[in-house]
Amino acid sequence: MSSTMDPPIYYSRSEYIETDTGNKVSRRATIAGPQNIVLGGKTIISSGAIIRGDLRRTGPGHTVVIQLGRYCLIGEGCIMRPPYKTFRGAFNYYPMKIGDHVHIGAGSVIEAATIGNHVEIGKNCIIGKFTIIKDCAKIADNTVIPPNTVIPTFSRFAGSPGHFIEDLPESTQEMVEAQTKQYYTRFQPLDRQ
Amino acid sequence: MGPSVQYHCPCLSTSPVPPPPHLPSSLHHFHPLHNLFFCEECDAVRCNRCVAVEVSTYYCPNCLFEVPSASVRAEKNRCARNCFSCPNCRNTLSVVSSDPPETGDGRSTAPLNSSGEPPFFLYCNHCRWDSAEIGITFEKPTGLAAQLQKYEDSAPDSLEFDRLKDHFEPFLRASSLSSSMAVHAALPGSAAHSHHLHSTSITAAASAALARDIPGVAKYNPLSRSASGRAHRDRTANKDEMPEYKGRVEIASVGLLGGGGGDVEVDFMRRLRDVQSVASVEQRWGNSWAGTLQVKDLKPLRIPLHSKRSKRCPACTHILIKPEQKAQSVRYKIKLVAANYLPAITVALPHLQKPIATSDAAKRTLMKISPQSIDDGTTPPGLIAGKTYPFHLALTNPLYDPIQVRLSVQRVHVTAATPGVGEKARRPPFAISLPTSPFPIAAFAEAWEYEDDEDMMVDDDDFGAGGVKGRDKDGRGKAKTVGVLERRANVTLIGGEVIIGKEARGNVKFNMLVTYTYRSDDSTPSEGDGDVPKSSKPPEVKSFAFYTVVDLGPIIPREEPRMETDA
Ligand SMILES: [Zn+2]
Ligand SMILES: [Zn+2]
Ligand SMILES: [Zn+2]
Ligand SMILES: [Zn+2]
Repeated sequence: MSSTMDPPIYYSRSEYIETDTGNKVSRRATIAGPQNIVLGGKTIISSGAIIRGDLRRTGPGHTVVIQLGRYCLIGEGCIMRPPYKTFRGAFNYYPMKIGDHVHIGAGSVIEAATIGNHVEIGKNCIIGKFTIIKDCAKIADNTVIPPNTVIPTFSRFAGSPGHFIEDLPESTQEMVEAQTKQYYTRFQPLDRQ
Repeated sequence: MGPSVQYHCPCLSTSPVPPPPHLPSSLHHFHPLHNLFFCEECDAVRCNRCVAVEVSTYYCPNCLFEVPSASVRAEKNRCARNCFSCPNCRNTLSVVSSDPPETGDGRSTAPLNSSGEPPFFLYCNHCRWDSAEIGITFEKPTGLAAQLQKYEDSAPDSLEFDRLKDHFEPFLRASSLSSSMAVHAALPGSAAHSHHLHSTSITAAASAALARDIPGVAKYNPLSRSASGRAHRDRTANKDEMPEYKGRVEIASVGLLGGGGGDVEVDFMRRLRDVQSVASVEQRWGNSWAGTLQVKDLKPLRIPLHSKRSKRCPACTHILIKPEQKAQSVRYKIKLVAANYLPAITVALPHLQKPIATSDAAKRTLMKISPQSIDDGTTPPGLIAGKTYPFHLALTNPLYDPIQVRLSVQRVHVTAATPGVGEKARRPPFAISLPTSPFPIAAFAEAWEYEDDEDMMVDDDDFGAGGVKGRDKDGRGKAKTVGVLERRANVTLIGGEVIIGKEARGNVKFNMLVTYTYRSDDSTPSEGDGDVPKSSKPPEVKSFAFYTVVDLGPIIPREEPRMETDA
């Protein structure tokens, strides 16, 4: 549960680049194909994260490969890779869309097609290709979600393969929103570097 | 788990006062604030244990199709489309065609929902089980449940279930009619209604607990009022009127029909080479029939439906929760949650709160600025017996009006001591100090939320004060420990102190009564509001009280080697 008294989380100012819209991106993160990645604002990309915006659909023109909403957190060492499949003989990557207030714990590998708003994904999870995670869902630490899984709203999943465990409370949306906003506030630069 | 605060729902007892925190029953009386509801009509907290539940929408958790309640029963609470779970690992199965395998990137991924070559089969992309192994294939990749219908209908468990239903149907219809008339005759008016609702929710909880031990029953039986009402009546009705039920098959012959049984199983076990070929309890748990022990005979099951539920106050039947009809909408038409009425309380132990550094560089800088704030591993992760600690309570006001809050600690019972200890343990294990006079919390305003607009810049200094600088003051300034420490927006920070006895054991856990008063018109509360008796107050001043349990964490006994740090 979030607390108004949670201690600050300090980063050294030199490590992070802050954008006009308040995104904070670690210089130690690997952002491949940045022109194909959209960050919604006040989203944090932690050190060691790998975001594969370069794995784009074949064909001409500009495409969005990975889209992240506002107040998201991509934890340390996370890998975000768009899903792929061979359809009617043609191999292709497909875009990944992630909503607002989505936190992804350290060391997780994400190949989902869509993740809704107010979603929490724990540490060291594997979210398989083309997974669809609906709003207000929660994935426990160390969960393995096989490809093509659908995770409905207000459900908590855990295990390998991930199973439905329980319904989440009706106020999940408000709780997650408060938590992600607070995390962004606690995430502060420390100077004198 | 750090220190926590939980809120009381008085539904389990006749007394409004919760049991002492050291009793095991305490656990069942308290809930996280965000799991509680609030009935405006009764001016009372409600929890998931006491509310009456009604299903408003059924849907399949995989294909997300909404199922009309009329067909839920006929389809046996499971998806009647294409959704099956793996009999081996319970993962959702995919429909795949018999196309030649992919050569593309060298990875062997089965093509999905392809319009390829028949026959089609079900495939698990987690454990690689496939339905062709047990001889289940399909001509078309759609309507799989319908294609399997004939197997399902002829299975011994569904035949037996149909027979049971036919047997009990007339009896249930007759008894439900008579018992509902009896209730209304005995308790006329609204009292009857509330009593009836209350007892059904209690019996529903009880029958749900009992049903958990019957495979296939608990999970797929939604806790609807009609169902729970029936369970309740069963017990009161006269069972002698029922004719004796005769099973469809003689139990002795079940083994011969391939449904398991002594000799067949003994024979199977005798030839067993690989323990993996024995189906685990987990794999058999969802089956409603005492079936085979062998993994190779397990069948895929249609995925059980999920439901969206409305919740009603058990006393006045007003709706507390009403979700939007659409299965995947997260909005509610009615949502009366306690967090919108009661102040949110969080607790922290300042001596354990260390700022987090995301990198070594940040840690080094932090060390230079405030060395004492770094966790150097010397601070024991808890409370040491015989010492005194400050603790902080942050109270957040969710109301648009300011409130006056008064806290009082329920006396710590001496009986809390561990059994078998002598005279010394007669003393309470710890003592809590909290401010006794009421204190204000400012009204909630949308602006406090640090709203999304980009122009709302966050002032770093503001928040720094709560971190490093605040700690400095605690460390050497000998600032006030007990009392109001800080007021910021709609949050008031309260300091408390705990003195732990030398022989204390267990957790520092105490019940705390929170009383708050608010006025709806006047927005300038004066000092001492809470001290004036309620009767002399103008009618627009209201007061509400609720119990919480505060757990500061375990006490570390003095004998432990960690004690060397105690000066
Ligand atoms: Zn209750
Ligand atoms: Zn389905
Ligand atoms: Zn499987
Ligand atoms: Zn009520």
